[in-house]
Amino acid sequence: MDDFQIYKSYQRLLKNEDLSTPLAAILALTEMMEQSNAGTMFELLTELKGAAEALSRQSLNPIGLKAGCELFIEFITLFPHDAASFSELKTELIRQGQRYAEQALAYRAKIAELAFDFIKDDSVILTHSYSRVVLQTLLLAHKRKRISGEISGSNSTCECFSSHVLCFSVFVTEARPRGMGIKTAEMLTAAGIPCTVVLDSAVAYAIDKVDFVLMGSEAVVESGGLVNAVGSNQIAIIAKAANKPFYALAESYKFHRMFPLSQYDLPSHNPGVLSFPQTMSARARPASSGLPSKASSVLFDNGSPIRITQEDIARNNPDVDYTRPDLISLVFSDVGSLTPEGVSQYLVGMFAG
Amino acid sequence: MTSDPQSTANQRIVEDLVSRLRRRQLVGSRATALETLLVLRQVVSKARFSNIDQLVNIIRSVGRRLVDAQPKGLYILVTYISYSFLELEHSVGNTVRKVLHHIREEYHTANEQPAAESSFSIAKFVLQGQPRKQATIPSSESRVPLKENDPDDPDSFARVLKPVLMEAIQDVFDELETVYDNISKNAKDHIHSDEIILTLGMSKTVDSFLKAAAHYRNYTVIVAETAPSYGGREMAKSLSSAGISTFLVPDSSIYALMSRVNKVILGAHAILANGGMFATSGSLLAATAARSYSTPVVVCAGQFKLTPLWNLYHEYGALDFGDPSAVLCFDEGDLVDKVDVVNPYYDYVRPELLDVFITNYGDHPPSSIYRLLKETYDDEDNEL
Repeated sequence: MDDFQIYKSYQRLLKNEDLSTPLAAILALTEMMEQSNAGTMFELLTELKGAAEALSRQSLNPIGLKAGCELFIEFITLFPHDAASFSELKTELIRQGQRYAEQALAYRAKIAELAFDFIKDDSVILTHSYSRVVLQTLLLAHKRKRISGEISGSNSTCECFSSHVLCFSVFVTEARPRGMGIKTAEMLTAAGIPCTVVLDSAVAYAIDKVDFVLMGSEAVVESGGLVNAVGSNQIAIIAKAANKPFYALAESYKFHRMFPLSQYDLPSHNPGVLSFPQTMSARARPASSGLPSKASSVLFDNGSPIRITQEDIARNNPDVDYTRPDLISLVFSDVGSLTPEGVSQYLVGMFAG
Repeated sequence: MTSDPQSTANQRIVEDLVSRLRRRQLVGSRATALETLLVLRQVVSKARFSNIDQLVNIIRSVGRRLVDAQPKGLYILVTYISYSFLELEHSVGNTVRKVLHHIREEYHTANEQPAAESSFSIAKFVLQGQPRKQATIPSSESRVPLKENDPDDPDSFARVLKPVLMEAIQDVFDELETVYDNISKNAKDHIHSDEIILTLGMSKTVDSFLKAAAHYRNYTVIVAETAPSYGGREMAKSLSSAGISTFLVPDSSIYALMSRVNKVILGAHAILANGGMFATSGSLLAATAARSYSTPVVVCAGQFKLTPLWNLYHEYGALDFGDPSAVLCFDEGDLVDKVDVVNPYYDYVRPELLDVFITNYGDHPPSSIYRLLKETYDDEDNEL
């Protein structure tokens, strides 16, 4: 299977709404193994590493898939062999990969269960962008609270138990440039959860009304920090400044053995991000480029208007950012609620134990 | 529990402890832990069971009974909070959890099976990161094979296992007996000569810690009175009678004195899963003052105070309130019906405000408390 093919199968797997990038990467690797004709463990591992490399090269934001590949390859390396033949072992490994991807779908429910205890009545939650695990947690909490409200409605002192008043509400940031927060807001509203979209730039304005922040993640790294859609870091900083708890939700397959020291150590960083145009006048500005609709235009000294389009902005802006562990209160994962320090110990236990 | 005559005796000792807890005749977490352990020992020694699950259920039901017995001051106000968060004398639940953990451990070593390596899967691989205790070396006595649910002799399982269980309970007992000594063991490494230490409340643990250090070092202790219980006065008396130079100050001067203090040493009522703690009210004041002067805050507590709970709902304390007349007496006639008086026993101190926990098993930062919890208790017992 060549590099292009594995990326295609990865893309195809990602179309499944439930599958997150690490799981899609694991499944893509199993598909590759099915077609591989490696005859020894060494050959197989070389192929797998090559495929993982190829995947992350072609993907714009390879952090999640790298975590998946890393987990799967490490597992294969440590898998105790007792199979009679290599092909048998290979089938077993493929089966393991597929079974894990299946089991792992249940992890979000587990996390939702853990995080549920932290959502008290009448709380106001801030979340960022779109995350399946956050969504599932909120939906579960909404369902539970409504049911418990109906049971104990009459004798309870809590106002919100009268089943029409709802028990918590959510602020969602718009999460530019992709605007995925709007998707979250739509889904929450459809479920009947009171929900308002706030601008990314209005988080500091809204934070005093917020009880805690619930954040999904692309990956949780070895420092215990978090890699997630851009804007997470500033929300964490604001939450810290306002003394609000910042909870991250992450399935354990998102634990990634990486130790970024700054934003620019993330694999998604490239020289294009945050670059300055060479010189203003030398910038290629053909009249037809971009959509002039929303662009602000200013007359430059040579008379031609300068236009900066949304696309221009998105082009040299990052997709994800890194949140330092000291800003995170807790990481909820299917293996338990961990402190950021706990995540690093966990990763050491997994990969070095 | 079943209704055979043996268990009525059990029930009686359980009820006895329950009523003493209710009437607050039994206070102090170590004393409660010891009493709980005595009850559990009695229960296990009398219990009839033919497999591990039955035994675990018996212990759990006793544990639930004891935990439920806790005085619940503001119960009406907080009906929507599940009862487990209202567990006030946390050491009862903790002792039950610990005993359950030991019992399972003994059962697993007695029931040694070769580790099932064949079922290695990615999910299991991930779990390797789980914090766990180093495997204990099984003692090399000859073991009678355990046979669960033996239809011919239903008691055989209990007969074989009971001595081992008794030993396990004895271990917990010994740990509680020696808890102060073990905490104080390294006291001289934490307190240096000519230091000024601030403490408050009456904590036996802190008391023995400071006295142990006094054998080696010459230092000064400032004790805050800790109104309205005035535990600080008692503490000051005890320390000065041991020859430590002691100052007793009102609570209101904690902040003013903090600039001169080298270290704040506090006791804990319960250590929570996030590394925070419930401690005598006033502790939050001292810890916050210490933070603003960057003074280290040291907490001395036995590991039986580790509680697998998060402080989720009641940020201001453990929802345990004392007698308001200590704050405002009924003699003060006209004022009494014009004000609400609360006298909370405990403060919740956030983990960020604490620097280290000195326990009977080593010193730990607040961030690794969760790990100790995983080692000490089994996850399934978090809710009894």
